[in-house]
Amino acid sequence: MTKVVIVPCSGIGKSYGTVAREGAYVVTEDLRPDTTQLVPLSLLVLGDELARADVAGAQAITIDGCKLACATKMVAESGGTVAHDLAVLDVYRRHRDLKPAGIAELNEGGQKLAQALAEEVATLVDELTDEVKHA
Amino acid sequence: MTEEILELTVDKFTFRVPKGLYFNDTGVWVRPEGSVARLGLSDFSQQRSGDMAFAEVKPVETTLNPGDEFASVETIKVNVILPSPVTGAIVDTNRALEEAPELINQDPYGKGWLVAVELTDWEADKSKLLDANAYYALIKRQAEEEVKKA
Repeated sequence: MTKVVIVPCSGIGKSYGTVAREGAYVVTEDLRPDTTQLVPLSLLVLGDELARADVAGAQAITIDGCKLACATKMVAESGGTVAHDLAVLDVYRRHRDLKPAGIAELNEGGQKLAQALAEEVATLVDELTDEVKHA
Repeated sequence: MTEEILELTVDKFTFRVPKGLYFNDTGVWVRPEGSVARLGLSDFSQQRSGDMAFAEVKPVETTLNPGDEFASVETIKVNVILPSPVTGAIVDTNRALEEAPELINQDPYGKGWLVAVELTDWEADKSKLLDANAYYALIKRQAEEEVKKA
């Protein structure tokens, strides 16, 4: 079965980007390793052919760290289908007690926010994989 | 009626300053409409503060003196307390911001307004505020200084 592709903000230099990236790791390594695949945004930006092929052949969930929405834009430009696009800021609005801080290393709030983000993404992954099963 | 807009471009950023509005030095704008004025956050201040996560305003009937907190915003970068530029009482608030604080980023002089205030000492308040040209000069200095530091 084709895995759901997760493409996070590359997370360089800002806390919200780091939350996006950490959340993507939690989904792909811990919560849904069998049904998801991480594709680094940087490879898409560089035009890596394998990364573009992975994105083009699967449903993608993008996680953006800011309103520039680089992850969502790059998946679309790479020929992929964005099934869901999440913004870390929207997740934070649902979890105001989890204020992220830190860049190389997130504070406790940021780590918990990444976990909450990952759980939202996992739910969306389940919906997508259920749709495929019942198609 | 269309407002005339001053535009300031510094580096890759462009900041808009509508003529006819008044500003305090923290970037709160005042648009007088008869005895009531709308208040909001300037384009320069919203861009410098970053994407809005939350915006909270004081409730209707809150009385204000210049300098009193009338709103606060939390962005991805900073928490900012906004001081009132006018004397009066809040008569309306922008409830749309509860669900969509990003309106401050998207339309700072329109749908992103914060509160409406019944003015009680406007002439005195106005004399202490910056008009569009003076505010333009202030943010030009600030923006150019920030670009030099970067």
